[in-house]
Amino acid sequence: MNSGVEVIKLRNVTAGYKTTLGFKSIFKHYQVVLRNINLSITRGEKVAIIGESGSGKSTLLKVIIGLLKPIKGDVLIYDKQIYKLPWRERVKIIRKIGYVPQDPYKALNPLLKIRQILAEPLEASGLDDKTIEQRVREVVRFVGLQREILDATPDELSGGMRQRVLIARALIADPEILILDEPTSALDVSIQAQIINLLNDIYNKLGTTMITVTHDLAVAQYLADRAIILKEGTIVDEGSFDQILSNPRSEYTRKLILSYYVTTFKTVE
Amino acid sequence: MVLAIRAENLKIGYLDEEEEQVVWATRGVDLNVEEGESFCLVGESGCGKSTLASAIAGILPPHALTMGKLYIFDQLVIDDSKRNYNGIRGKIVGLIPQNPGTSLNPFLTIEDHFYYVLKDSKNMNKSESRKIAHEYLLKVGLNKDVLEKYPHELSGGMQQRVLIAIALASNVKIVVADEPTSSIDANLRAQILNLVNSLVKEFKVTLFIVTHDLASAGKICDKIAVMYAGRIVEMGPTSIITNKPRHPYTKMLFESIPILGWKRALNPLPGEPPNVIEEITWCSFRERCPLKIEICNKEPPLMLTDENLHFTRCWRFKEVS
Repeated sequence: MNSGVEVIKLRNVTAGYKTTLGFKSIFKHYQVVLRNINLSITRGEKVAIIGESGSGKSTLLKVIIGLLKPIKGDVLIYDKQIYKLPWRERVKIIRKIGYVPQDPYKALNPLLKIRQILAEPLEASGLDDKTIEQRVREVVRFVGLQREILDATPDELSGGMRQRVLIARALIADPEILILDEPTSALDVSIQAQIINLLNDIYNKLGTTMITVTHDLAVAQYLADRAIILKEGTIVDEGSFDQILSNPRSEYTRKLILSYYVTTFKTVE
Repeated sequence: MVLAIRAENLKIGYLDEEEEQVVWATRGVDLNVEEGESFCLVGESGCGKSTLASAIAGILPPHALTMGKLYIFDQLVIDDSKRNYNGIRGKIVGLIPQNPGTSLNPFLTIEDHFYYVLKDSKNMNKSESRKIAHEYLLKVGLNKDVLEKYPHELSGGMQQRVLIAIALASNVKIVVADEPTSSIDANLRAQILNLVNSLVKEFKVTLFIVTHDLASAGKICDKIAVMYAGRIVEMGPTSIITNKPRHPYTKMLFESIPILGWKRALNPLPGEPPNVIEEITWCSFRERCPLKIEICNKEPPLMLTDENLHFTRCWRFKEVS
């Protein structure tokens, strides 16, 4: 599936947040979170961005999905410098990205029914009701939910079901890139495994480029072929999982891997 | 052999006022924890494990309903609806809470946190408590600068270490840890769990740890109990439970854990735990169980399955492994 077309490319990206404290805000003053990030993701790839809390994972995602203009550097999505395009043009490109936010308990509007939540992205594109309903049902079935849940509100659903709804919402507009922010960190082990299997199913059927952000190496190895390891805003290691596990290039990666072997017991087969 | 915790048919529930019925979070738990043991209670969200931990730590909310008996070092703390934790709470049983960020008072320095705990449990004055605090902070790998700091000046891992130090400083005999690693990054979990375990061994404290993370539980505990829908479904020594689970639920849990460097297929069973609001008279795992037969319409008792004190609540335990 890897056709070698670069869908996302970051060149020397430095990004951060404006601080508005004190007189310094008269000048542009930034809290820099990401430093000189160079990154390229090709079509159909499965990539994981791994790092601890505070390493800049979420900031990197914001930059990629067009929500945070970097201080320096170029962000190219489908070969277009999105931050140099007018907003309308930028949105057209960003629509190709499906985004699954982090916390399934907070990311769904509690006042809307699941049907409305799923239909919302399609209504913006001006489709008629019948097509929308058809598409909603199709996606709900695809992520392994019953049709009955369409009339429920989010608080009637369990964590695993909510996560499936979020995945369905990201898939509904046929994205070419799927971005998952900590897709399993709020879930129990057996539900986590169900979601991991579902995401791999989606990848195998649709062939979308998949970018997962996580702090859990063990989960990442299931959801990605390539790992990018972030530490304090810089990429310290990058490569296939086999390579990272057998031959980590940075001291930090080695420590990260080691810390797993301390906790994980060995089951006897 | 002294039993630190003994529960007999313990049921804890909450009144659902809208529906005018009681929702039982634990539905008859029988449990023995020996002194000095590390005991781990594993289960998924909503199985009742946190409620059981609060009952042992003595922090059940007043509106909770209880039935059955709970002994802590032979003192009866829950006798059906009567609850009496005098001399137990904070003195014999200490707690490492789930969420370090919200468990420390934002307006008190770490030193004051120690002082209020030690004043209450051991009648210490400020300089004595400072000395003890310093000693225990060193044990958890922090230096004494931390004493002057406020909780917001510490990272999540440091806050958790402070809470561990506070729990141990008052010389409790049982430490209840409710999901001590759930809000910590995966790579720090190892450190924190190993720290808890080594300290518990050093001070000869009984550890009752509640977690959904079977992988790390298997690493540090002597005994594991697996809970499902308010009941213990399997209990026994760690090595036996991890190698030869006898309940299909435990087996499934192990097959669902992603292990770094070993990319096997994950085999979660479909479905989710049952709704605990309804009274269940059948095996609570029936709906998801691949081995179910006619007899599974009756709830099985907690059966002894071999000579190693390995208990399973499953009619078909022989077919599982």
